[in-house]
Amino acid sequence: MPNAILDPTGRAGVQKAAAPGLELAPRRRDLSGLRVGLMDNTKHNAALLLGEIGKLLVTEHAAAAVTLAETKANFAAPAPADLIGRYSQECDVVLTGVGDCGSCSASAVADGILFEQAGLPAAVICSDAFVVTADAMAELRGAPGYHYIRTPHPVAVLTTDQVRERAKQLLPDVVAAITEHSGP
Amino acid sequence: MTAEQTETESELDPDAAQTAIEYCYAQGWSDGLPLVPATRPLVAKFLAAAGRSPDEIIGRLPQLDRTVTVELAAINAGMAGCLPEYFPVVLAAWDALMRERSTTGGGWQSTSGPAPLIIVNGPVRAELGVNSAGGVFGPGFRPNSTIPRAIGLMVRNAYGIHPHELEQATQGLPGRWSICLGENEEESPWPPLAVEAGLAAGDSAVTATLLRTCEFVDNRHTGSAEQLLADFADTIGRSGAWIFRHAGAGIVFCPEHAQLLAGAGFDRAAVREFLAERSGRSTAELAAVGKDASDDNGVRGPGRGSGGRPPGQHGGNGGFQRMLPSADRQHLLIAVAGARNAGISMVVRLFGGWSGTAVPVIRP
Repeated sequence: MPNAILDPTGRAGVQKAAAPGLELAPRRRDLSGLRVGLMDNTKHNAALLLGEIGKLLVTEHAAAAVTLAETKANFAAPAPADLIGRYSQECDVVLTGVGDCGSCSASAVADGILFEQAGLPAAVICSDAFVVTADAMAELRGAPGYHYIRTPHPVAVLTTDQVRERAKQLLPDVVAAITEHSGP
Repeated sequence: MTAEQTETESELDPDAAQTAIEYCYAQGWSDGLPLVPATRPLVAKFLAAAGRSPDEIIGRLPQLDRTVTVELAAINAGMAGCLPEYFPVVLAAWDALMRERSTTGGGWQSTSGPAPLIIVNGPVRAELGVNSAGGVFGPGFRPNSTIPRAIGLMVRNAYGIHPHELEQATQGLPGRWSICLGENEEESPWPPLAVEAGLAAGDSAVTATLLRTCEFVDNRHTGSAEQLLADFADTIGRSGAWIFRHAGAGIVFCPEHAQLLAGAGFDRAAVREFLAERSGRSTAELAAVGKDASDDNGVRGPGRGSGGRPPGQHGGNGGFQRMLPSADRQHLLIAVAGARNAGISMVVRLFGGWSGTAVPVIRP
């Protein structure tokens, strides 16, 4: 009997994502009177884009206010528990991104899932150049097919006016992602 | 020790070997080149050579829920084509890389596709046959080729970071997973890199960092140390790979350049002082490429009045902007390697921050 060939992954016998079946946070009926949280990931134009969408949620969808806007210090890693905790105390819905790099796109999706687990409907914005890695992270986190919002790449080189325009374009997707009117 | 030498050629079974290699490809374990199928007896030799607990966790990426143990490292090193006696060097290289923030964060997934630079000092070079002379960036030498490949396989297999999936390199650095060199201590005018980093002379040690890119300086044209260093300052200060407010670099000097500099009284610290002051670009030159200012996160971009970026602390006119944050060792790694046959040295650009340290090669 020849020797067995050893597995170099450490995953031999480990079931692939036994999918604990992520329960999404309940979607809101609408945004009226809700407190909005924004979490940017330091990527250029991320804070600006989220801020512009936040304003539109207030002016056009009657959200109460943006009550928390923080920057995730390490874009490459999912948000720490204390940061997630602050959002769940001070907000009703969260908007985060922009995933536009190798590690931060994956992490943005991981953040969205963490917010959902904390009971907050989340809208995650990723550049459409990173769909594969964002999907891979969703699967890794036991939430295959997790819905996030895709926006055309690149975001970092847009001017301020172009970012404002992009915010307007994304607004319906954001509203759909966090309310009962969300798509399939 | 080399491969099993007791077999006679007629006892080899190349058909079985081919089948096993194809099996490894089919599992998705390969970086594209054939793997040595790892078996329990082979891995036992690796573990014996290192003398560390197989269960010891040497790397962890919580965001991916993956870890690297000494045993997984041994399996991947065996598959990479390492000999068991290389394994302590593989582990030292891994430990050296783990001292960087990027390697425990998102570095392996980066669009930059950074490459480890692994530099070996001390007697282990001769014992293993690590090339430190001609053609030192490869190929042609088994330890130089397989030690960095082992690191790449650990990232691929133990961390599960595959190209086009969690690994998002836009193009990747040429020579990724293949840059490992011995320092040419015998022809260097300066103390070994590991000694500069605080280890004892005669210790075997590994220094490692991630590279953003590299480009050589070919200067066989001047006998002036200042002119030679000015050529390096120009290459180090290029704007292309310069994306944050400051950036680190390194130079793998060929013996000829190092000896010329030492002859003019330059030690490593003096080289760093000279280059820290002169490597960079004027604000006007950086403005011409849209990189004259930096935002609150230290990312460069166009200066005032273009696109809403904060003016940044370098928004002035005409001033010279230094690329290196200081003349400290961790911002400009200096090693000596290659043949003494020409004045050709490699400038490297650091991906993140080098720890400025070296890791001893530990053998039981």
